[in-house]
Amino acid sequence: MIVLVGVSYRTAPLEVREALAFPKDRMAEALLKLREEAGLDEAMILSTCNRVELYGRPRASAGDGEAAADATSLVESFLSRFHGRPPGALGEAVYRLSGAEAIRHAFRVAASLESMVVGEPQILGQVKEAYHAAEAAGTLGGTLNALRNRSLAAAKRARTETGIGHNAVSIAHVAVELARKIFGELRDKNVLLVGAGKMSELAARTLVRSGARATVLGGRTFDKASALAAALGGRAAPLEALRGELAAADIVISGTGAPGLVIRHDDVVAARRARKGRHHRPLFLIDIAVPRDIEASVAKLGGVFLYDIDDLRAVAEANLRERMKEAAAAETLIDREVHQFLDWFKARDAVPLVVALRQRAEDIRRLELDKARRRMGPLTAQQEEALDAATTAIVNKLLHSPIVHLKESAQNGHDPQQVSLIRKLLGL
Amino acid sequence: MTSHVYLVLTSILYAVGALHVLLQALTRRRLLTSWTVGATLAGFALHTAGLSQRWTETGQFPAIGLSDGASFLAWAIVLVFLITYMRTRVDVLGLAAYPAAFGLVLIANLTPATRSADPILHSVFLPVHATFAFFGYGALFVAFTAGVLYLIQERELKSRAPRRFYYLVPSLDRCDTLGGRSVEWGFAFLTLAIITGLMWNHSARGRYWTWDAKEWSALVAWAIYVGLILARHRTGWGGRRAAYLGIAGFAAVAFTFVWMNVIAPGPAL
Repeated sequence: MIVLVGVSYRTAPLEVREALAFPKDRMAEALLKLREEAGLDEAMILSTCNRVELYGRPRASAGDGEAAADATSLVESFLSRFHGRPPGALGEAVYRLSGAEAIRHAFRVAASLESMVVGEPQILGQVKEAYHAAEAAGTLGGTLNALRNRSLAAAKRARTETGIGHNAVSIAHVAVELARKIFGELRDKNVLLVGAGKMSELAARTLVRSGARATVLGGRTFDKASALAAALGGRAAPLEALRGELAAADIVISGTGAPGLVIRHDDVVAARRARKGRHHRPLFLIDIAVPRDIEASVAKLGGVFLYDIDDLRAVAEANLRERMKEAAAAETLIDREVHQFLDWFKARDAVPLVVALRQRAEDIRRLELDKARRRMGPLTAQQEEALDAATTAIVNKLLHSPIVHLKESAQNGHDPQQVSLIRKLLGL
Repeated sequence: MTSHVYLVLTSILYAVGALHVLLQALTRRRLLTSWTVGATLAGFALHTAGLSQRWTETGQFPAIGLSDGASFLAWAIVLVFLITYMRTRVDVLGLAAYPAAFGLVLIANLTPATRSADPILHSVFLPVHATFAFFGYGALFVAFTAGVLYLIQERELKSRAPRRFYYLVPSLDRCDTLGGRSVEWGFAFLTLAIITGLMWNHSARGRYWTWDAKEWSALVAWAIYVGLILARHRTGWGGRRAAYLGIAGFAAVAFTFVWMNVIAPGPAL
């Protein structure tokens, strides 16, 4: 039995999520308190900017609805109390799940099916980290550990066997992906930034991380250009050096606020001519300025690839549509994995009862056997053996059908009333 | 088993590979799975066994005539594809290699196996010359495919609205490098094939040059590749023009093969 209490971007605004987030340095403390105050055997907290979720296994092992409701409200009041909020203040912002629902949710979160952008890669690492923190704090037990192993494995399968993680869906990443499709390796490629905007910086950072060298051209705002160049580990140059820099560039990201064209057809033609021995090398021009910086006719030049902001956006949207299609396949895969996990989980639930039943029968058998021996006096080894075999056979035959039935009913979903009835009947 | 049974089994396995690759391409996933590679290796092993069986049955190196030629060419293409894939992991080459291998083996299945009694076919030059030539064909086929992939990817990127092939085909740089490398290999084998061919001519006919069309087309292909390799090394040439030239060179090579086996079959040389 697993319970889950949480808020996410779907149910709560950023202010609420911020207020409920668990900082890393207080995570161990929070986990121990959660386990203590909510009466849990196991606890785990997932805290990211898009969601805060508390997972737990209540101490009472009987899985009836009432116990689950108790456990979730205990976890919820812990959440309020820990962040200094009055109990019950969270109201509709919180979702409370238990049993199969909670397990399904855990699988879906790990597989990024609950993420804002389906297929985003960060969540898997965040979930891993959350389990790791719980393990370090000593609040992770067999049940949550099983959930961790199975949900992470399922998430990895979803990523490798479907296309949910394929293809960039942000404009900066689309630009970088295009650069990779043109140049292959980005190491030692020259990136020329014309103007120092936010989006240019984002794309340039990724390119530099892949080994590219950055040069930033600045006009009136040269200070800004040199600051960005320093941040990117590159150099700055004045806008007047455009033609010379263009000849050395492989990738150009232009995003000035200039009202007219900054890079003209003639500039590009001259730059292509000036690259000695490398004129077949492609030139990738990214124009993210509105109004545009680069003369559109350069796209017709051989080896020149020009993308403006609308082109990049269209690619990102096409990629996102593709991901949505793949998400359906991932949903099916995760559903199957959840079912397998639930079957395994329920079968495991039946095990303690089966063990108790066997133990009880064995105790009775030994007790009665001892009594009988006292009455019968000393027996030969063969007689001992025969007596032992006969009583064992009686017990096993009697128990056979109840045990099979117990295991089966556990597979088909445990009925808690049935379980307590069996316990009562057998005096367990 | 007779060599024909081997050939039928081989064509079935290659057909599975071709279908699988095409289906994978339509769903835009990874093109080759370990299953595909496994089936290919099994097909290739059967193919190799079939070719050696054929050699034993006829007592003549199985590269003469359309049936044997097509089968051997398919074998060389699969071998070169497998080597290239192991080294570069460019799986999209399979989109060309599998259908080509299947088509060629199908031709080999459907055409009657010819057997020429021409005594010059017992020369040791036949296996040597044919092996060089077919390895060359295989490598030049890869170069041709890389060229086509380059042009496709360039068009996708130029269109500003890339579609399916954009995701499947590797980067321009990768296509260009792969094309350049395989042209060099193919050229080396082609050169060896031409030299051994001329020597064979001389030993059989007493003349190096017999003015046959296939000699001319082989020479034209050779000249194109010389130009391409020199341009690449001397001037850092590459990209689209290199892709076109690689395709043109392969056209000449393909003409040589077709002339020899379809238009003017008859005794070799």
